[in-house]
Amino acid sequence: MRKSQDVRLVLLTSIALSMTACRNQPQNCVDSKNRLLSPSACQTGGTSGAHYVYGGSSGGHVGDSVVGGSLTRGGFGSLGGFGEGGE
Amino acid sequence: MRRLTVNPRNSWQKRVEKVGLTYHTLPDGSPYWNESAYWQFTSAEIDRFEAATAELQKLALSAGDSMLDQDRLAQMGIPKEAMAAIRAAWNNEPPAIYGRFDLAYDGTSIKLLEYNADTSTGLLEASVVQWYWLQDCFPDSDQFNSLHEKLIAKWKDLKDYTTSPVYFASGGSEEDSMTVSYLRDTAEQGGMRTQHIGMHEIGWDSKRRCFVDLNNRPMGTLFKLYPWEWLLNEPFGPNALSTLPPDSPLQEYGPRKGRRQWGSMLWIEPIWKMMWSNKALLAILWELNPGHELLLPAYLGGPRHLRRYVRKPLLGREGSGIAVVQDGKVIAGSLDGDNTQGHVYQALATMAEAAGKTAVFGSWVIDGEPAGMGIRESSGPVTNNTSCFVPHLFR
Repeated sequence: MRKSQDVRLVLLTSIALSMTACRNQPQNCVDSKNRLLSPSACQTGGTSGAHYVYGGSSGGHVGDSVVGGSLTRGGFGSLGGFGEGGE
Repeated sequence: MRRLTVNPRNSWQKRVEKVGLTYHTLPDGSPYWNESAYWQFTSAEIDRFEAATAELQKLALSAGDSMLDQDRLAQMGIPKEAMAAIRAAWNNEPPAIYGRFDLAYDGTSIKLLEYNADTSTGLLEASVVQWYWLQDCFPDSDQFNSLHEKLIAKWKDLKDYTTSPVYFASGGSEEDSMTVSYLRDTAEQGGMRTQHIGMHEIGWDSKRRCFVDLNNRPMGTLFKLYPWEWLLNEPFGPNALSTLPPDSPLQEYGPRKGRRQWGSMLWIEPIWKMMWSNKALLAILWELNPGHELLLPAYLGGPRHLRRYVRKPLLGREGSGIAVVQDGKVIAGSLDGDNTQGHVYQALATMAEAAGKTAVFGSWVIDGEPAGMGIRESSGPVTNNTSCFVPHLFR
């Protein structure tokens, strides 16, 4: 007998796949040199190096530098293109 | 070994969804989870799979030592920046949970096709879905499958070595999300507190020099279903390396002081898995163990004397970039495409074939021990993300 005696699931069947974000600071989508991009660049996952910076300030125009933010998001997940990382 | 056909359970889709397999049907409408057939083995055959898996794990450990002793990482296409962290992780032995050997078996010999050691999927199907199928359809039969209890046992062992919560991250696919949800489930049953986060949601706090969750809390332990080779090539790649020895500041907390050698963030699977998930492993295994009964001849740089071989990209995934060559002719896949990375040339194995399908036997390892099997079937010789999963039993 090699099979598991019992396979009980406590989380899986009821898990909510979406996460509720809690972001209190303004977010800016920037490129790898911290220059402001259109928000869509961070939403598609297709623009290389695009990620969010939280806090900080800029002139508000695409291409402006964002200064003062210490928290960035979106620095992972772009190569997968929101696809499969498993195999 | 035999492949037998059987009537699927009534409302099988609802039954498998109930245990987490929401991705049971492929985009073309055909089943990914295929319970209109199953593979039947003898107990002696399962003994052979189990012994082969244990032996291959032993060989892979020796190959890891050899890759580092002989400075093979550059030849494998591993980035220079990651080499010190890989070496440190190999020596400090941070926790590694799982992996899956893909094996060919023709009823006579078992041969290693590849080792998916970093981001293996198909786990929920092998551990849970086929177990419930067996209870419903053949409750008196056995199955090579102790995955669930071995996973829970491993998380229990790790409880004193990790921070809480343990974060589980994946990319965007449904299969990956449900795989990490299943792993979370086993971790919770092992006594851990867990939290899911998308890879793209992970933050980096440059003042505190740490990764943070969506509430800006520092993350101490992360299971990521996301390949190291992707992660290191992304904007946060250098930050990831900065959390690992030798660059990371030492951390000292919890009852196990050894934890401090693992860096300011504990990554599961560890970065050294880049050595095993790289297809160069196949050539290095053959080099170290020429003629081994579980290995196929495999070489780097060219096919040498092989007339029937498979060319695999060193960092290929889900069958992409694979070409099957026979007497100079490509009979499946293509030699075109991305030729910037290296390849391994592996002799063509004799595979199990039935009902027009080719089967690959995925033999799971949990905490270094054989733990179960999942079978994927394809219409051609290459297993990819449209290959379907077929359950098994033994008597």
